[in-house]
Amino acid sequence: MYDLFFQKFNEKIALTAEEEALVKQYLTPKKLRRKQYLVQEGDVCKNICFVEKGALRAYVLDETGDEHITAFALEGWTLGDLSSFIKAEPATWNIDALEDCELVLISKQAYDELLQIMPKYETYIRLLMTDAYMALQRRTTYMISLPLEERYLAFTQMYPTLFQRVPQHMIASFMGLSAETLSRVRNRISNRK
Amino acid sequence: MSTKQTIAIIGATGNMGSGIAKSLSKSNNRLLLFAQHLDKVQTLVEEIKKGNPAAEAEAIACPTNASWEADIIILAVPYAAEKELADKIKDVANQKIVISISNPLNETYSGLTTSPDTSAAEELQKLLPNSKVIKAFNTVFAADFATPVIGGQQADAFIAGSDAAALQTVSEVVQQAGFNPIVAGELTVSRTLENMTVLLIQLTMKYNYNWVAGWKVLHN
Ligand SMILES: NC(=O)c1ccc[n+]([C@@H]2O[C@H](COP(=O)([O-])OP(=O)(O)OC[C@H]3O[C@@H](n4cnc5c(N)ncnc54)[C@H](OP(=O)(O)O)[C@@H]3O)[C@@H](O)[C@H]2O)c1
Repeated sequence: MYDLFFQKFNEKIALTAEEEALVKQYLTPKKLRRKQYLVQEGDVCKNICFVEKGALRAYVLDETGDEHITAFALEGWTLGDLSSFIKAEPATWNIDALEDCELVLISKQAYDELLQIMPKYETYIRLLMTDAYMALQRRTTYMISLPLEERYLAFTQMYPTLFQRVPQHMIASFMGLSAETLSRVRNRISNRK
Repeated sequence: MSTKQTIAIIGATGNMGSGIAKSLSKSNNRLLLFAQHLDKVQTLVEEIKKGNPAAEAEAIACPTNASWEADIIILAVPYAAEKELADKIKDVANQKIVISISNPLNETYSGLTTSPDTSAAEELQKLLPNSKVIKAFNTVFAADFATPVIGGQQADAFIAGSDAAALQTVSEVVQQAGFNPIVAGELTVSRTLENMTVLLIQLTMKYNYNWVAGWKVLHN
């Protein structure tokens, strides 16, 4: 139920068996089926979620009701509407399951308490947030500075497993492109070779 | 928009379980229903969907899986079955709200089998140390779910527990079921709440209330 969670935790900072048992007391195991929501826009995102199994995505809806994908999470990744989680304000993201999922949730209360009582948890969160920030920095740079073909290649290198796992129209949305544009970009790249 | 909650009802085919399931199926909840006799659960699901085709209710064959998938777990089984079920759901109920509705009545309904310094809810909390056990629904009768307004008055339903956010969530669930929720205090207040039901049962038998009866606190 928590295998991958603790594997990833230990990759960042090693825990003793006792420390693992302590962290475990604060975790909420949760199954989510395909198309079910972890949180919907307007509700507070009460949990940060780690994916043991399955895949999630986050999206926003624009004025015309079109979806724009803002994030994905596959096995071993962490996802949540962070502003909503930290500030307890209404979420702007919708997060739903692309496949049947087994998740490990951490509530705000559990998160705050663990940060208080366990320096190693603070280290884990610092490293997690640093990684997430660096990924966001790279993604933003690619988005605003690279020509489309290079952007596509950079994204495939950054998220190799994701590109095999989710449908192309979602990848297009995540890259801020229409599905038609993405398919043209892919054609141009394959013609290059 | 509002994110759907998933509620597992363990013992869904009983007097209480089916009353709770039918009431909660009318609001923004997804219900996972379990009891040992799965055919009866299936019949209940059909009945719920016949009354409300949009209801999300599903029979589920394993209490552990139901609880793993749930946000909130309602144990609607006899008190005597709670230990066995607590063992089965302990791991997957970690950090979750578990609602204790039971009244550990003796055979003549004249008192409780638990000792005065504890309650069914506190015993359940001992079995599920990392869950948020909340006492609720134990002070209303099963038939009240069909008529939560009795003689023009909405029945009160008392709630006890120690986690503020969980109390808030359960208050909303109690309201969705048609009752007026009143947070009575810490989980130890369950001792009083369980005894209140002994009195209500005795009054019901003495004055022939026909099992439609409830508490109402008058106040200004
Ligand atoms: N009746 C009331 O008005 C009332 C009022 C307040 C509180 N309560 C409390 O509510 C609880 C349920 O009472 P009830 O009157 O609804 O009882 P009930 O009609 O006998 O229902 C019991 C339910 O639990 C299931 N069950 C029994 N043993 C089980 C086990 N070992 N494992 C899993 N499921 C089991 C039964 O189905 P299967 O046999 O198919 O498993 C059934 O769905 C009790 O704790 C009672 O104190 C009752």
